[in-house]
Amino acid sequence: MDKIEKIDERGVWEKIADQLRSRSMWMLHYCTGCGAVELPPSTTSRFDMERLGMGPMATPRQADLFLITGYLSTKTLRRVIYTYEKMADPKYVIGFGSCTINGGIYYDSYSTINRLDQYLPVDLYIAGCMPRPEAILNAFTKLMDMIRKGEADGWKRYKENYEWYKQNQLRSLGEVVVYDEFHE
Amino acid sequence: MMNSTNDTNDTNASLELQRVFEELKSMFVGCEVSQIEPTQFKLIVPSDKMLGMLTYLKGIGYSHLSIITCVDWIDEKKFELVYILFNWSNGVTFLVSTFIDRDRPIFYTVKDMWPTAEYYERDVHEFFGVEFEGNENCKKPLMLELWDDLPPLRKDFDPLQYSKEHFPDRTYEKDPIHEARIIRGDIEGDIEGGEIDG
Amino acid sequence: MTALKVAGIFLTAFFFGLTFEGIGRKITARVQRRYGPPWYQNFIDLFKTLSKHGYTHGWIFDFGVIMALGGIIASLGFVPVGGIVAFPGMDNFFVIVYLFTIGSLGMAMGMVGTGNPWASIGVARALTLMLGYEVPYMISIGSMLYFYRTSSISAIMSAQGGDWNLVKFPIGALVALISLQGMLGKEPFEAPMAPAEIASGPMVELSAKYMGLLMLMNTFMEFAEISLFVDLFLGGGTYFVFLLKYLVVWILVVLISSVLPRFRIEQAVYFYWTVPIILAFVQVFMTVNGFVF
Repeated sequence: MDKIEKIDERGVWEKIADQLRSRSMWMLHYCTGCGAVELPPSTTSRFDMERLGMGPMATPRQADLFLITGYLSTKTLRRVIYTYEKMADPKYVIGFGSCTINGGIYYDSYSTINRLDQYLPVDLYIAGCMPRPEAILNAFTKLMDMIRKGEADGWKRYKENYEWYKQNQLRSLGEVVVYDEFHE
Repeated sequence: MMNSTNDTNDTNASLELQRVFEELKSMFVGCEVSQIEPTQFKLIVPSDKMLGMLTYLKGIGYSHLSIITCVDWIDEKKFELVYILFNWSNGVTFLVSTFIDRDRPIFYTVKDMWPTAEYYERDVHEFFGVEFEGNENCKKPLMLELWDDLPPLRKDFDPLQYSKEHFPDRTYEKDPIHEARIIRGDIEGDIEGGEIDG
Repeated sequence: MTALKVAGIFLTAFFFGLTFEGIGRKITARVQRRYGPPWYQNFIDLFKTLSKHGYTHGWIFDFGVIMALGGIIASLGFVPVGGIVAFPGMDNFFVIVYLFTIGSLGMAMGMVGTGNPWASIGVARALTLMLGYEVPYMISIGSMLYFYRTSSISAIMSAQGGDWNLVKFPIGALVALISLQGMLGKEPFEAPMAPAEIASGPMVELSAKYMGLLMLMNTFMEFAEISLFVDLFLGGGTYFVFLLKYLVVWILVVLISSVLPRFRIEQAVYFYWTVPIILAFVQVFMTVNGFVF
């Protein structure tokens, strides 16, 4: 299959900034779903993630990588959407596992979504149920390559196609911001 | 599954439990006892005697309410409400259940005896549609937000159709479920593209 | 000439502060039996945060961050670093400590101005911890100032001669080291700033360039505090000797912090008000009666 060469429209400062951004990504400590169990092994001593410059960061304001690790129920998806919108540009999303790709083993459930890129712009998917830490580190290095070449532009796509994403979100969720009694 | 519901199983229970069962049968007419395991017993009670039974059992030591759930018997048109009680002194679990009508499922709340029952009853209300008189918080959503369809755990609700309507799927050129059935041998056929390889 | 010296101090603090932080991360990683990030990782982190497009929360927020950074830069200008003394005759201990508080209060004001309740809780914790570590520190340094009858840091540096104050006032140096661990915000006193504690406490709403400026403020503050310790207790020295002593103190602090867990705030303040205060009073007793080694 032929790959269409995308024209690299970044200026010099953007290219330097992308080199820096790829070497120090901070992931948000928000681990949805059952795939989050593969993140502690990737972070600790055996499959060390910090040598790539990545580390966990607690608040969405400072993080630039959002890992959707596993299935997303509608309740979680609402909170994921407004956490994603709180993050500062440029931001990247990785979908772990088959539940984000096509619904996985929960494809016929009444409360989990089937395709993540209808609601959020995804830069990279990792197949597996759950992918092992070796696969996760491989995906991180691939994402770093994509950032350096300028291909990881999910945040730009979200801003440009905001209406389309909003329409999908409202179709599946009804409303995005819902107040529940435990957070009044 | 339930064993046969008669006195032959009571001989497996200890003496003290046998006394308890005799008391129950004399006080609450229509109660049936069966044994699931040496320390798990199922008691089926008519729905008008249920509250009295729960109060009595709480008084004699079965004071820990583990959960309240519901089973949908769609062919008999009944909901079976199950209360699981646990005794900390002798480690015996009682599953106390009653059958209520499926078309007008109304029951009483036990949240005055066990405060946690409020959340279990909200759970059963949201997923089965059973109304609990006395628990006004049932109207507030606990787990499903903005839900507008049938209560989801009823057997006449079709989750696959709901999922196809609301959550768009990824389209593939081949149908993976059909291919999975061929690989498993459930149906005959050939997979396009040759053998499965790593 | 003064401007050059001030610039020299800042460049030293910037370059060596960030490098030593990277080395600290490497040491923590090796203690945990893994490879760590490269030594220049903190530079990359800083420039990455400056390149993001962030959010602001109003003019109090902007002003608070600028006041925090400005206060620390001001206090750093007075600290003697290596052989460089930017304002000779004015490097009084009390001036430097006074200017530190401008930094902390500026950060407090800016963070509370965001409106996030966790920022307010984090700031309350940071200021409570400050109540803890300042008191034994002041008592033990106060006893040393009484001994030398001066509070100018350059004078104390030169009056040490061959013997370091570490040897003359050993208990005071120990108390100052324990207080230093709290001032730097390292384990076991990391509760106000740690990411796992209510989402970074005061830094919860900082997004792009504000986070970069606050990281820079933290680096400068560490540099100023450890430089003060090296000047007062280890005798300062020429430029590279000073940096070597700084590195030794820094490695000691990092090693202690990499193996200890975190205290709760009330446990930390309770600790500071029992053990180090008693040791500081013992030191005062020894100094006043002339038991100086």
